[in-house]
Amino acid sequence: MWEFFSYFVMVPMVYIAFATLILGIIFKFIVVYRSPGIPGRLPVFPMEKSKTLGLLKEAFTIPAAFRGSKPFWFFLVLFHAAFTLVFLGHLELAGDIPVLRSIPHEVFLGAGALGVTLGVSVIYFLFRRLHTPHREISVMEDYVLLLLLFFTILFGSILHMADRYGMTALNIPVGDYRVYFSSLLALKPRMPVMITASPHFIIFILHLFFANLVLIMFPFTKMIHAAFIFPALSIKRK
Amino acid sequence: MEPEKLQGMKDAIRGRLTKPMRYYLDLCTRCGLCYESCHVIQGIHKREYSPVGRAEVVRKVFRKYFRPSGKFLPSWGEATDLDDRVMDELLDAAFSCTGCRRCVMHCPFGIDTGLIMGIAKVLLIENGTAPEELLMLSDAAVEKGKSIAEFKDGYRSVIYDLEKQVQERLGLPSPEGVIPMEKKNANILYVALAGARSIVNPAIIFNAAKEDWTLSFFEAVNFGQFLGDPEKMKFIANRVVNEAKELGVKEVVIVECGTAYRIPKFMLGPLPFKVTSIVELIHRYLKEGRIKLKEGALTAPVTYHDPCQLGRNGGVFEEPREILQILAKDYREMSPTREFNWCCGGGGGLVALDNENFRIKSGKPKRDQIVATGAKVVVSACENCISQLETIRSGYDLDVEVRYLTEIVAENLVV
Repeated sequence: MWEFFSYFVMVPMVYIAFATLILGIIFKFIVVYRSPGIPGRLPVFPMEKSKTLGLLKEAFTIPAAFRGSKPFWFFLVLFHAAFTLVFLGHLELAGDIPVLRSIPHEVFLGAGALGVTLGVSVIYFLFRRLHTPHREISVMEDYVLLLLLFFTILFGSILHMADRYGMTALNIPVGDYRVYFSSLLALKPRMPVMITASPHFIIFILHLFFANLVLIMFPFTKMIHAAFIFPALSIKRK
Repeated sequence: MEPEKLQGMKDAIRGRLTKPMRYYLDLCTRCGLCYESCHVIQGIHKREYSPVGRAEVVRKVFRKYFRPSGKFLPSWGEATDLDDRVMDELLDAAFSCTGCRRCVMHCPFGIDTGLIMGIAKVLLIENGTAPEELLMLSDAAVEKGKSIAEFKDGYRSVIYDLEKQVQERLGLPSPEGVIPMEKKNANILYVALAGARSIVNPAIIFNAAKEDWTLSFFEAVNFGQFLGDPEKMKFIANRVVNEAKELGVKEVVIVECGTAYRIPKFMLGPLPFKVTSIVELIHRYLKEGRIKLKEGALTAPVTYHDPCQLGRNGGVFEEPREILQILAKDYREMSPTREFNWCCGGGGGLVALDNENFRIKSGKPKRDQIVATGAKVVVSACENCISQLETIRSGYDLDVEVRYLTEIVAENLVV
C-alpha cells in the first residue's frame, strides 16, 4: 500500500498536478475570453499616466492592503515574495537552469528563512480569519487552502533543515532531488534510492503530496487570483 | 423552486457573465480589506452590508449552479440554493448598494461589487420581486421613449413658463427662445431632469454664456440602470443618443446627475458626440471668460460632496472645486475626499425607494464628515446626492444648507 501510494505521489500525481495546473489556467482564461465583453468601460479615477506601470505597482505593492491594515500588508508582501523565491528555488532542483544554479542551493531557499517566513505568514492568515469580521466572511475553502499550504511548507522545511544541519542519517542530498526532478522532466521517472531509503522518505512524500494538491487546486480555487489579478486590475484602467 | 423557473434564473445569471464579471466572481480571496469600506456597514453593522458580504450572497448562488464544488461539495464555498430566503438576501444586498464603487478602491483586485449586484438585480427581476417603484419608473421612461410625440406639446407649454423665469433673472427683453427645443445642429443638447430647477438654472448659465444649445425632451435619469435591467437601461439611454444624432449636435451636456453622466460617458461604447457634465461646462465657460462669478459671494463655510459617479467613477474632481473656490470665501475639504470620499447613501436609485430610516443610518459617515468640516453649506452636483444629503440633514438635525452647484452658480453670475 505504502509503496503504491509513494509511487503514485512521486510519479503520476506530479504529472497530474502540473497538467492540471497548466491546462486548468488555460481553461480558466479560455472561459473568460469566450464570455462577452461589455460595451463600454468601467474606469476608476484618478488614473496613472502609465497604466501598465500603475497596474504592476498596484499588483506588487498592494496599496489597498497598506491602507487597510499594516500588519496584514506586511505578511501579504512577505508571503508572496517568499512564495516566489521558493518557487524559483524549486526550479533550480528541477533542471539545469544556469541562471538559478549561479546562486547556491542553500542560499536560494533562504538558508531556511523562507520556510519560516511562509509558515509564520500562513499562521498569521489563519488566525486572522478566526477573528471577527473575517471569521464571518470565511468559508471552508479559505481554511483548507491555508492548511494545505501550511503542511506543504512544514514538511518542506523539515526536509530542508535535515540537509542544512547535516543530519546525515536523515538527509536526502540535493543531487538526488535533481536526479528525481530531471528524470520526471525527461519523462523517464526514477526514484533514487537515497530518497526512498531515507528515514525522511515519508516527510518527502507528504511534502510532495500536499504540494501536488495545491497545484491541482490552483486554477479552480481562489488561488487563481495570482493569474487573474492582472486582467482584473486593468479593467478599472481602461 | 420549479425547474422551469430555476432554468430562467440560471439563464439570467448566464446572461450577465461578462469578462469582468467572470474575473470578479472567481478571484475574491475574502481577505476582508473591503469590509469597512462601505458606508452602509459603518451605520448598520451587518455582514451583508459589507462589499464582500454582499458579493458573497451572489457568489454562493453562482457556485451552486455554475461550479462543480457547488454540486458535489456545497460546503466548500457555502453554495446556496435559490430559495425564498436567498431571494430576500439578494434583495437586501442589491438594494442597499448604491453602486458607488468605493469598495473598488479598497480591493487589492479592484473588484466592482456594484457590477456583481447586477446579477442579484436580474435574479430579482426574473423572480418578480424587484422594487415596484423602480419597475414603474423605468417602464414610464421606456413608454415615454416609445411615444414621445404625445408628450411634446405638454412639455413645450411647461418650458414656456420656465422661459419667463430665465428672462427675469437675466433681464432679457423677451422670453422667446431662451430655452430652445428641437434646434438642429446646435453645439449642445442639454439633458435635464424632471424638476424645473434642473432646467432654469442651466438655461440661465447657457444664455449668459451665449451658448448655441437646445433642450432634450427626455430626462437624464436612468431608472433602468437602477433597476438593473440591461435592456431597459440601454433603451432609456438611447432615447437621448438617438435624439442627439437626429439633431446633429456636437456635444451632449448632462444635468447634475451622476449615473446619467456615467452611462453615456463610459457605459455605452463610442458615441458620435462628446459627453460632458454641466459642471465641466460651467468650468469651461469660466476658463474661456464666457461667464463671470461674484468672487467670495458665499461667506459661510462651504464644503463639496463628490458624487461618486461624477468623481471616483467619472474623473470630475477639479472642476467643481475650482468653481467653488471662486464663489466661497471659506472652502473646506471633507476627509477622506475625492476618490476615497464616502458615498452619501442615496445613489443607485435608493432615494426613490421607501427606505428613509435605512438611508439615515447608512448616511452616518457622510454626516460625520460634514460635521467635521464645520461647513454651513454643503454643495453637490447630483440630484440623488442632494436628496440624500437633505435626508441626512433632517435625520441628524444638522445646521447646514444643502445646495446644487448650478443653483449657486446661476444665483451668483455677474450679468
